[in-house]
Amino acid sequence: MRKITIDPVTRLEGHGKIEIFLNDAGEVENSYFQVPELRGFEKFAEGRLAEDMPQITQRICGVCPEAHHMASTKALDALFHVDPSSLAKKLRQIFYNAFYVTDHVTHFYILGGPDFIMGPDAPVAERNILGVIAKVGLELGGAVINIRMKNHHIIHMLGGRAVHPVFGLPGGVSKGLNEEERQEVEQIARDSVEFAKLSLQVFDDIVLKNKEYVDMIVSDAYTHRTYYMGLVDENNKVNFYDGKVRVVDPEGKEFAKYAPREYLDHVAEHVEPWTYAKFPYLKKVGWKGFVDGKDSGVFRVAPLARLNAADGMATPLAQEAYEKMYSTLGGKPVHHTLAMHWARLIEIMQAAEELLKLSQDPEITSPDFRTIPTATPDEGVGIVEAPRGTLTHHYITDERAIIKKANLIVATLNNMAAVNMSVKKAAMALIKPGIEITEGLLNRIEMAWRPYDLCLACATHALPGSSPVPIYVYNSKGILIKSLS
Amino acid sequence: MKTLVLGLGNPILGDDSVGLRVTRALEGVLNKEQVTIIEASLAGLDFLDLVTGYDRAIIIDAIQTREGKAGQVYRLEPEAFNTTLHAASPHDVNFTTALELGKKLGLALPQQIVIFAIEVENVTSFSEECTPEVERAIPVVTDMVMAELATSS
Repeated sequence: MRKITIDPVTRLEGHGKIEIFLNDAGEVENSYFQVPELRGFEKFAEGRLAEDMPQITQRICGVCPEAHHMASTKALDALFHVDPSSLAKKLRQIFYNAFYVTDHVTHFYILGGPDFIMGPDAPVAERNILGVIAKVGLELGGAVINIRMKNHHIIHMLGGRAVHPVFGLPGGVSKGLNEEERQEVEQIARDSVEFAKLSLQVFDDIVLKNKEYVDMIVSDAYTHRTYYMGLVDENNKVNFYDGKVRVVDPEGKEFAKYAPREYLDHVAEHVEPWTYAKFPYLKKVGWKGFVDGKDSGVFRVAPLARLNAADGMATPLAQEAYEKMYSTLGGKPVHHTLAMHWARLIEIMQAAEELLKLSQDPEITSPDFRTIPTATPDEGVGIVEAPRGTLTHHYITDERAIIKKANLIVATLNNMAAVNMSVKKAAMALIKPGIEITEGLLNRIEMAWRPYDLCLACATHALPGSSPVPIYVYNSKGILIKSLS
Repeated sequence: MKTLVLGLGNPILGDDSVGLRVTRALEGVLNKEQVTIIEASLAGLDFLDLVTGYDRAIIIDAIQTREGKAGQVYRLEPEAFNTTLHAASPHDVNFTTALELGKKLGLALPQQIVIFAIEVENVTSFSEECTPEVERAIPVVTDMVMAELATSS
């Protein structure tokens, strides 16, 4: 048989890429992080039944179907004017916290971890999960796979399917838990809390005890003073599933706090000629370009932003870890992009602790998990915190619940302005005239966007199975001088 | 031999659904006592959860290559993907890394993995339709999978 070799870069035609342009002196003139933008979803949604949206929208993304499913389900609650029972909300949160554990664990160990565990200058062939297990041991690799599988089991148990759940319904959920299942959830939650402890310990040992890494985290190249956004509960504690959207300014002061239905008063989208992606910004501050500071409407979302936007964590061990992070990094808010990895681990702890608490809730096995809606549907907005940031679904329907208009603000896009700024700043700090542009140097630029855990609009191909984002560096004549792919 | 036929793709993203369409076509013709058919929209580590425990896996998926023409079909083995291990993916590991990791961790991965990849065109606009060239490849791939299954089962 003829041996066919597939060049992975070929998958990238029309996919994400980073281009860095140098001036005559060899300094960074500009950089662009282009993302592929899937088109036509709004039109695709028009004329469909709103009740189908939790099934349809979760197909948008191969990475976080559960987040779309949940945002969509909450938009339906609002659309049909129905308040789910406290049990239904708790079951949704069991499902959602289990998802958080799997998603955050994947990012830390597959993507964030290798940079630190192997080191930013380690050869490409080693700076990955395989290198990590070679260095740290198979046991940890096994634990990563195991904890993901167990939490997927919870998603499967409630969602009815391993992927693309059939769980959320307007007014509740499709299935409850029996005592046997509750015990399983409780055990998995305990294991997850232990895994979160282990992960924070790994971070402590490998990153925090290494002065070079801590210096890198707090260095100016990876720092942006921006606004931060995240959902908070009634006590202003981090909440992944529900609450109000809180925005704090670069000094950490509350700038806005609003209910999901008010989102259009606060967020607008800026368009640039060089990309299909739109850049959300704070309407009341205004778009001032790709710049940080209090006068720029650029804001950030995702783990560190959620912690910055809240007054604390909702669970005790996560709160302990939260306090340690802020005391180590000089108080709130923390503006260091690389600290997102740390914040992500703290969130794994909250998700695991919440899972445990919910599994022990006295009403969790009772049958009242659906409130049948009776009102006429018209308009609804649902917001959740996807692992990678604030996710908004907004539907307007006729009285039969047929979609007239759908608007989605996808979590990752909220960060796109900041991602572009982060790449440019790191590039400017690292690429200097006379300094050879090495693979390690380009990886350090990549480290500026990796913490955001981008979920780029990508088809769900397994082949070759990821959408790498290559970096291309061009000189002032427009000639490609270095690339990393 | 415990065999898995796995169709991958996104059902609402144009040609990306082709792998799922092939598995749906196979649903009607395969003896399901011998073969498990699964449709999924995932990649990376989740892929390991699905294939573990089977002796053989036949995967059907969409692909885009530099010189490819829509509707072309490739029969590949995992070695064809001498992909980079560069962790530049936004969120997950690639196919090669996932398999490599599974092996290292001693998971019961299939001894034989065959991939039927169909060259696609539109994977950026939401639609439940495939482009005509890709549509025409569906019965071709279905037959290829049937022939593959007949070789050693």
